[in-house]
Amino acid sequence: MEIFWFLTFAVLLAGYFALEGFDIGLGALLPVLGRTPAARDRLVGAMAPFVLANEVWLVAIAGVLFGAFPALEGQALSRLYPLVVALLLAWIVRDAGLWFRRRTAASWRPVWDGALTAGSAGLALAWGAILMAVVRGLPASPFDLPGLAAGVAMLALLAWHGRTFAAWRLRNGTGGTGRALLLSACAAAAPAVLVAAAAAGHMLGNAAPDQTLTVLSVMVVPVAPILVGAQVWVWRTFSKGALPTFF
Amino acid sequence: MDVAGLARLQFAVTGSLHFLFVVLTLGLAPLVAIMHTRYAITGNPLLERMTRFWGQIYVINYALGIVTGLVMEFQFGLSWSGLSHYAGDVFGAPLALETLLAFFLESTFLGLWIFGWHRLPRRLHVACIWLVTLTAYASALFIMVANSFLQNPVGAAEEGGRLVLRDFGALFTNPSLVFALPHVLGAGLWAGGFVVMGASAYHLFRRTQEREFFTRSLRIGVLTSLAGSLITVAFGFAQFGPIHSVQPGKFEGVIPGLSLGLMILIGELLQLAVMFVLAPLLIRDLLARWRWLHPILMAMTPLPFAAAIAGWLVREVGRQPWLVYGKLSVADALTPGLTRADVIASFAGFAGVLGLLAVVDYALIARAVRRGPGQVALGGADLPLAAEPVPANSL
Repeated sequence: MEIFWFLTFAVLLAGYFALEGFDIGLGALLPVLGRTPAARDRLVGAMAPFVLANEVWLVAIAGVLFGAFPALEGQALSRLYPLVVALLLAWIVRDAGLWFRRRTAASWRPVWDGALTAGSAGLALAWGAILMAVVRGLPASPFDLPGLAAGVAMLALLAWHGRTFAAWRLRNGTGGTGRALLLSACAAAAPAVLVAAAAAGHMLGNAAPDQTLTVLSVMVVPVAPILVGAQVWVWRTFSKGALPTFF
Repeated sequence: MDVAGLARLQFAVTGSLHFLFVVLTLGLAPLVAIMHTRYAITGNPLLERMTRFWGQIYVINYALGIVTGLVMEFQFGLSWSGLSHYAGDVFGAPLALETLLAFFLESTFLGLWIFGWHRLPRRLHVACIWLVTLTAYASALFIMVANSFLQNPVGAAEEGGRLVLRDFGALFTNPSLVFALPHVLGAGLWAGGFVVMGASAYHLFRRTQEREFFTRSLRIGVLTSLAGSLITVAFGFAQFGPIHSVQPGKFEGVIPGLSLGLMILIGELLQLAVMFVLAPLLIRDLLARWRWLHPILMAMTPLPFAAAIAGWLVREVGRQPWLVYGKLSVADALTPGLTRADVIASFAGFAGVLGLLAVVDYALIARAVRRGPGQVALGGADLPLAAEPVPANSL
């Protein structure tokens, strides 16, 4: 049972980086790829319909951690305190940029585009540092050179993934770049999956008791096809055609 | 203030901010779903405009619901790791179910609904907003199950210094839950109704072009708050019995006592006003025609939100000093080794950023209301993919 929930955790983690990874990367690259306001609108329009369905994978990761590995959740989050706070603040700023950039007067849009870019870059940097801290066994002060280096590496990786996604989507979701997008998605997920694999033994030893895991399984497994179906529906609906404009 | 006090204050501030937006989400979601359904059946353009206008208000409000909710979810592990250590095997389950069964689907279907205009077949598009509503209510259920467990830890037994799950069903029949959940959902309808009512009163008072639109909206707002007030007040008073037997002395402190008084005062006055003044004045649209009443309706809009915050203060402060009532104190649940500097920095960051964004969000809702149904972005025209080759080439 704990193996099933560890695999669920790993799948969610891989899915988060493969999917939300391109939103983060594209957000960080926004001023580079979109030199004009119109170009930025198109880039945001490309990723906008995916963001809500993508970012929620991390909420699910936190939920699984709390439900199936509660002891670990308290341990890991509290040891990573400053990094998790930085991650959350970056996430909030990124989301605010997305949600508000078209809701305010046009003169304010550069401010929200700046929030989108800064928040996205902050998310990538925080993730790199968090994964590095987990690899090093949760050191007391995770803000150091290796953490920063890992953050920069993560930023570069996700930026590449975001750029690949934009190229694929803005060419109408078809053509040879589909394979490139799959490749960059796997690459974006790889570091987190490797870290989770390395931590597998520790996680399995800290799972919730069988009674709790059984309850979770009984409730979640029947609904799992709906979760997957909803995600597939998003991709079928928004992979091609004109770009929606709400964000 | 000590570290535990600061961490508690951080949780209280972020939680209150979260609930201000959640309560409106819970109230507006079913209204937008009903409007969209009626539009889909009748094809009436007025109903389409209502769906998009009130849907946009709902969506702008939702943005802050998400970002404040993220902080809530992670705060358990950040500041209160003693809780996950002691009670995580029980308390974690409803939270995990909330993320997987409710919020995951809610967020996905909301994305489909927001961006699905002109794309999804009409019936499937309507299904999305109903699924958003259903999962929002499921979310409220799981969060209230988790919260009620902290108020009254049923279905669990202590083994080796930790709580283990004995009876998951008992969490859903918890006396701290069964009346509190409809109380919260009713408060959502009440708040949603008042926002629709206040915004409609603004346009009617300003004598904008949208008279029919806002006369109908005003009626929806009043009837929704009437339903919401009946549910909220009935299930509010129904809670006194269970609370008396489960948490005697809950209202004895200064803050719970004053908050309870304030909530009941606001609730009773507003219920009387809605039931005996506003609802009867819907006859012959008197409420829409009596312009001198409209500033009063606008001024009343924040009151259900104030009552909602007061309600949470009663429920949460009245549980002190316990985190898990009678079993784990707040002080014992605090993450070991947490420093004042840690908490002050994160508190300043979260309260500063979320507080600022909350103000911005309300300003944007006010702006969307002021601009009216003529300038709604939700469901607006798409950007053609091939119009400008420049960005694609620059890749």
